[in-house]
Amino acid sequence: MKLRTFKGGIHPPDNKHWTSHKAIEDCPLPDELVVPLSQHIGAPSVACVEVGQHVAKGQEIGSAKGFVSVPVHASTSGEVVAIENRPHPFGTSLPAVVIKPDGEDSWSSNLQFTDPGSLTSDEVIEKVRQAGVVGMGGAAFPAHVKMSPPPEKPIRTLLFNGVECEPYLTSDHRMMLEESERVLQGVALLQYVYGAERVVIGIEANKPDAIALLKKQCADAPVEILPLAVKYPQGAEKQLIAAATGREVPSGGLPMDVGVAVHNVSTAAAVTDAVMLGRPLIERVCTVTGPAIREPKNLRVRIGMPLSHLVEVCGGLVEEPGKIILGGPMMGFTQLGFDVPVIRGSSGLLLLREEDIAKSPEGPCIRCARCVQACPMNLLPTTIAAYARRDLVVETEEYCAMDCIECGSCSYVCPASIPLVQSIRHGKAAVLAKKRNALL
Amino acid sequence: MADLLVILVSAIFVNNFVLARFLGICPFLGVSKKVETALGMGMAVTFVMTVATVVTWFVQYFILIPFGIEYLQTIAFILIIASLVQLVEMVIQKVSPVLYQSLGIFLPLITTNCAVLGLAVLNIQKDYTFLEGIIFAIGAALGFTLALVLFAGLRERLELCAVPKSFRGTAIALVTAGLLSLAFMGFAGLVKG
Amino acid sequence: MVAAIALGIAAKKFAVEVDPRELAAMEVLPGINCGACGFPGCAGYSKALVTGKAEPNLCPPGGAELVTKLARILGVEATAMARQTAVVLCQGDNRKAQLRFRYLGLEDCNAAQRIAGGPKACPGGCIGLASCQRACPFDAIEITADGLAVISREKCTGCRKCLAVCPRDVIRMTPYESSVHVMCNSHDKGAVVRKYCQVGCIGCHICHKTVPDAYKVEDFLATVVYEQDAQAFEAIAKCPTKCIRDFNEAYPEGSTFLPINNDKSDAA
Repeated sequence: MKLRTFKGGIHPPDNKHWTSHKAIEDCPLPDELVVPLSQHIGAPSVACVEVGQHVAKGQEIGSAKGFVSVPVHASTSGEVVAIENRPHPFGTSLPAVVIKPDGEDSWSSNLQFTDPGSLTSDEVIEKVRQAGVVGMGGAAFPAHVKMSPPPEKPIRTLLFNGVECEPYLTSDHRMMLEESERVLQGVALLQYVYGAERVVIGIEANKPDAIALLKKQCADAPVEILPLAVKYPQGAEKQLIAAATGREVPSGGLPMDVGVAVHNVSTAAAVTDAVMLGRPLIERVCTVTGPAIREPKNLRVRIGMPLSHLVEVCGGLVEEPGKIILGGPMMGFTQLGFDVPVIRGSSGLLLLREEDIAKSPEGPCIRCARCVQACPMNLLPTTIAAYARRDLVVETEEYCAMDCIECGSCSYVCPASIPLVQSIRHGKAAVLAKKRNALL
Repeated sequence: MADLLVILVSAIFVNNFVLARFLGICPFLGVSKKVETALGMGMAVTFVMTVATVVTWFVQYFILIPFGIEYLQTIAFILIIASLVQLVEMVIQKVSPVLYQSLGIFLPLITTNCAVLGLAVLNIQKDYTFLEGIIFAIGAALGFTLALVLFAGLRERLELCAVPKSFRGTAIALVTAGLLSLAFMGFAGLVKG
Repeated sequence: MVAAIALGIAAKKFAVEVDPRELAAMEVLPGINCGACGFPGCAGYSKALVTGKAEPNLCPPGGAELVTKLARILGVEATAMARQTAVVLCQGDNRKAQLRFRYLGLEDCNAAQRIAGGPKACPGGCIGLASCQRACPFDAIEITADGLAVISREKCTGCRKCLAVCPRDVIRMTPYESSVHVMCNSHDKGAVVRKYCQVGCIGCHICHKTVPDAYKVEDFLATVVYEQDAQAFEAIAKCPTKCIRDFNEAYPEGSTFLPINNDKSDAA
């Protein structure tokens, strides 16, 4: 049977054999947790605790600012030793709350079990917001905002992203295998809020065990388990929508424009915790992997754990890494060192050796059009990059640079090693700057 | 009817004024950096060519020949074309200052554009009737516009290429024009003569 | 005859008012369309001149000669702006200044700056990926073999295109007459600067103590007070990090530019 898919895309080696069979392990607490106040798309939170104050696990330490923002919580009980700028995964130093764990690891006392049947849809959304749930696939978009589409854009199809198309990462895979009840409970909760006619969980065919398990568990439920062809970036929102529903999100539009909402399966699990147990989002599963780490693992880590601690827990480094990536190799963030903390969107820590990142020098474009074939958004990466590099902003915008999802497929296939994604990003920044200047 | 079609096709493709007859190279190279400017220039030239044909035809057959002053043909034609171009220039400046700016010096240069004069003279040489003359003019103008727009498109693409330093600018443009001309020779044989 | 009359009528009907002074101004302007005057190209500047929205001394590439010509066309008095030249206030090339990471991407300073604030440890130093060199219409900027941008005082016309494109704001406009500059753009404390750069300014105030009028130190960074820099060269020998340079003596290390000695400085 032919599996559903989307146009374009690439087939990088999936490298999931390092960790796909390893059960999730709990990561012990480090000496210090650095919880950044900005971990999500939207306005950063504002600290609402003081230095010297004792905080409980799950206590709010940063309040949300505005609608597109979420509160930030203490990942364990302990004392606030500092509120200062600390190195952040985005490359600069940003405000963070530094907590010294007291070892008790005790939850805040006002958490209780709630029967979801007793809550209204709005109450569910509010609980999700209070818990600081953001997209766990990596983008970290506040979930409560996604769950509040305007009434003129009803959601008919609810998609769950169990695809995990990034090479090396296996955290969602293990979540589906080991914590399927939490995931499915979250699916049901979100279905309750959206009231969609069709609920689908998309899973790539390279996870047959997860597909079989979920199919069995959803045998009587109105949830469709949809195996998808193995191709990067199947897990990207617009590509998942194309494969599952055949609909194309319009240029510059959002999934709600075609009546669809997409959530990651780990986000669904977080929603369950938030709504039923009142627990805020303070931990997640992170795949620590790569040829430069001694013992690759799927770790359950707390937000704020320094990367150095994760490396230690995984047996340390085999050799000095050539590159440290927080996330996957295609769209993850390269880090300057190990002194940054895990944040809510950190789905993986990838350690590559020097030999893994060997790059040939950039050559001229030979118009082979491999990038055009690979682009999942039907763009012309070579043309956009050429205009962007020559600072021709009008043409860059005309060729739809703003529709690029920065998946990296084009840079991956380019035989001339041209930095296509970086050039397109450069172009996007120029287009945005021009728009901002025009408004001034 | 078929003859008119033959004249049209011949003027646009087979004996394209720019690429086969090599007339009007100045605006061809000068105005073809962007497709919009090329289109604008093409339309201006179409207007001038068509009206020029009409007027010169009348002048030839009702003034020059009856009065026996055919030797004044060149001067008279140039005078007519110059006035027409002046008119077009004024209209464009008023109606679309942007186009006026982008065409710049090339607009008045349509006056000395050998393509327009060549068209007028060829019309007389080929002994075309009034209707044939008009079709010929429209065909020539369309062919001119076509060559210009095609070339502009090519040049826009050339902007993005890593051209070797010694070839940059006019050099590679001329090479490309030559290749385009060769391509149009593929139409030879479509029409006899 | 008929044509002439027809044209005459048409000319009147379709007339577009153009001030003759505007055309005269367009003729004397350099025609480079660099935008240094602040108007959209030479045409924009001409228009502004005749409508009284601009002074005649706003065109740096044209120089004093142009100012006189424009003043005559417009029928006004005008004094030329003092000649200015751009200087890259940094000597921290890849041998003298540290890098935070290996940057393997687009060879463009703005693109590099966007990746975690740039590959240089110093937040204000020159990145050296030649964005300014590409922006300069006069070929006045070179990049040394060790990755430092240097601007030729003679070739620079003061059009400011390099300033606009530099993400570090390390290029400054200085009077052409001033040749002594403090070659640093970092406001970090001395101890911090010492860690990432051998030739950075540590804010020790020695230059200010030597020639108080010619130097001011703000936020751990010294700058030359160009209005009173006649004796500024005296502090060059005293600077502990060799951060001050007299461009009349020599350009930064690695540069191929040679100073044309003005007779202004009488230092040995």
